[in-house]
Amino acid sequence: MIGLPPAEEERLANGARVVVARRPGVPLAAVRLLVRAGAALDPAGRHGLAHLVAQAARRGTRRRSGRRIDEEIEGLGAELGAGADEDATSFGLSAPAEWLPRLLDVVVDVATAPTFPQAELERIRRREVASLAHDLDEPGTIADRAMIMAAYGDHPYGHPVEGRARHLAAMRRPDAAAFHRRWYGPGVATLVIVGAVDPAKALRLASRRLGGWRPAAETPPEVPAPTPREREVWVLDKPDATQAQVRIATPAIPRNSPEYFPAVVANTILGGGFTSRLMQAIRVNRGLSYGARSRFSMSRSAGLFFVSSFTKVESTAELVEVALDEVRRFRDDGPTGEELERAKGYLCGLFPLSLETHGQVADKLCDLALYGFGVEEVTGYRDRVRAVTAEACREVGRRHFPDGRGVVVVVGPAKALAPTLERFGPVTVSPARRIL
Amino acid sequence: MPAAPEGPLLPLDAVVARTLPNGLRIRLLPERGAETVSYYTFFQVGSRNERLGATGISHLFEHMMFNGAAKYGPKEFDRVLEARGGTSNAYTSNDLTAYYEEFASDALPVVVDLESDRMRALALTPETLEQERAVVKEERRLRTENSIYGLLEEQLESLVFLAHPYRWPIIGWMDDIERIAREDCQAFFRTYYAPTNAAIYAVGDLDPDATLALLERSYGDIPKGPPVPPVAQGEPPQRGERRATVRHPAQAPAVLVGWRAPAARSPDAPVLDVLQACLAVGESSRLRRRLVQDLELAVSIHVGWGWRIDPGVFTVFAEVAPGARPERVERALFAELARVAERGVSPAEVRRAKRLLRSAVLHELSTHDGIAHALGQSEALLGDWREAGRALEHYAAVTPGAVRRAAAEHLDPTRRSVVWLEPGGAP
Repeated sequence: MIGLPPAEEERLANGARVVVARRPGVPLAAVRLLVRAGAALDPAGRHGLAHLVAQAARRGTRRRSGRRIDEEIEGLGAELGAGADEDATSFGLSAPAEWLPRLLDVVVDVATAPTFPQAELERIRRREVASLAHDLDEPGTIADRAMIMAAYGDHPYGHPVEGRARHLAAMRRPDAAAFHRRWYGPGVATLVIVGAVDPAKALRLASRRLGGWRPAAETPPEVPAPTPREREVWVLDKPDATQAQVRIATPAIPRNSPEYFPAVVANTILGGGFTSRLMQAIRVNRGLSYGARSRFSMSRSAGLFFVSSFTKVESTAELVEVALDEVRRFRDDGPTGEELERAKGYLCGLFPLSLETHGQVADKLCDLALYGFGVEEVTGYRDRVRAVTAEACREVGRRHFPDGRGVVVVVGPAKALAPTLERFGPVTVSPARRIL
Repeated sequence: MPAAPEGPLLPLDAVVARTLPNGLRIRLLPERGAETVSYYTFFQVGSRNERLGATGISHLFEHMMFNGAAKYGPKEFDRVLEARGGTSNAYTSNDLTAYYEEFASDALPVVVDLESDRMRALALTPETLEQERAVVKEERRLRTENSIYGLLEEQLESLVFLAHPYRWPIIGWMDDIERIAREDCQAFFRTYYAPTNAAIYAVGDLDPDATLALLERSYGDIPKGPPVPPVAQGEPPQRGERRATVRHPAQAPAVLVGWRAPAARSPDAPVLDVLQACLAVGESSRLRRRLVQDLELAVSIHVGWGWRIDPGVFTVFAEVAPGARPERVERALFAELARVAERGVSPAEVRRAKRLLRSAVLHELSTHDGIAHALGQSEALLGDWREAGRALEHYAAVTPGAVRRAAAEHLDPTRRSVVWLEPGGAP
């Protein structure tokens, strides 16, 4: 049986959750401080604010300057990671366990008491705007951003976490400070520590550091389900590209859906591993691409199903056709018995590799907290995968793989591409910078 | 402050190492932890063993290894492996080609059967060659022709090296990818994929004695190969700065600078690891602070330094900030490097770098895959798998003086090569 290391858990008086797990192995400790406030809370006209707050929080607190934070953390051999997704913001690091008390102090300081010094915030904001512009040079990134916008529309998950250039340009220090005051608080926070630590000591330490954190002004509202989109084709123009990036996407299921396990198995068969149908049809049988895959991207309140690949400009329509054919075939017939058994063997065999390091275990414990699961989500993984039937996979395909619905996003030279894509739906051509 | 406890990094004494009569090297390490095994096969061949006209053959050949052999036909390799709870992949570098599988430990006999089948009797059919040729061309379009960093890197290496095979890209020139014939692949397989030129590293939930017996049974009868031809080493000394420009649609300019740097076996290789961390690992590193934070001339800055069998390349890559000019980025970069070469770095900077490196080594060695790869890479590049457990000793010996001397010696302005990305054409 696959297990998690025994974890000690405590809820502090102010609502903060602390989870500590001692694990054998390398003398490192992984720390994650998760705050359930993410990009779905970005106000209108301020897309990218949650991300900016995560990046700027480490640039200064009441007790430390940004430089001192960098020096303190890196001087102990760690690097501080900070980032937001749709649902949450996470601060984390891994470091030799002997430095845990000092590093934990900095991580908690950054998450709970940032002051967003004016000059530093402005600098981070300029850097983010510039790095968004650089995204225009990455065709795959353009496609990923466009896919989120096209598939979710004006849903709270419908903008890339990194935000939009003109929104970022308008953000000021009070926006960041207000976001932090409004949403960051112990009631939505989980601190996870995994590794070569004494759980009782680590719990005491964590409660000392977090115990004085005052509640946030508000609790994040639940995000509604997105509405399905009619078939549309977006072409983002990159006139000089010799290869087109392709995404086919549709709103699907949230992470806590009862369809989760059938969805994971069905996706493995359609576009998961190297032997998946998409990989075989697109790469192995036709040499159209180096890679082709599909995925359920699942968040707390909603999710996407998407197919992702790329090919030389001339074969773009063929690739879309082949991908949609494979999707249709799965919807109609479901998996074969052999495919189903192979996918189950693959998922069950590899599952321990997702829990090999302290950091992976810490991430998993954060996920359990974020999605409201108990440990049986991990300990029961193999049984639940093995229980998936062919009929359940077909049902997932029928309900969530795009048929007439779903957006097709293509990045490449529009003049050559657009006419070949009209048979898939109404085509809109835009300059690539639409995604900024 | 408590001192960092230093136990042995890797239980090197527990490694079972044998060489079979056909030359195949085997290294096994039982490790507790996840009930999985990581299985690597290293072939001592990469783009440095190629010649013009057939560049990219090492990498194209890597693709051919997944297309069927005597016992397991086309498409069977991954099907059998995935059904048994495993996954596989491979990579080709300038120096070596590595294949790896990670799997639930009870699949070990199947993996050994699959791997020994393709080492013994790979099928190289015309159909699969054409299919993989098309796939590799797409890979080249993805990673080089439609990637700014890919374009710059390809240009830089052909500036830094005039004669050494490191001057061409691992994936090869498009024209050569078109040209490689089935006979080239057959000759390549006979020479470079013989057991004499290979090593196996298995780490994880395994019994070393039983595994060794299994490997002897499975690989023992594969015949030795011919001697591997030597690699041309006639790189002439560089007598002045070299420059090139890449014109490509882009939002902003970029600057990539490289210096020919010592071989992996040089005592300076770990010193340059420390220098790399001082310069550009973390927010408080020298170049990040100066160019990204203080002057805001660059959006990002990265130092690249990978150990290679022959003298390789130490690089600095800067994405230029909007409105800034690449000339200014260069000036600021070179001024900072000159400061390091003249005045050195502080003991605190070296201590910070060593601690960051120690964490990186501990992370690397925290998975079966990381350990197996470290053993294989150490043997391929340094000639001894035991070096995988010695990284921290090498770092511990690095002094601030050594960092200064290495910067002065290896980052000499008269021996640098500079490539600019000049935005041109429609975005």
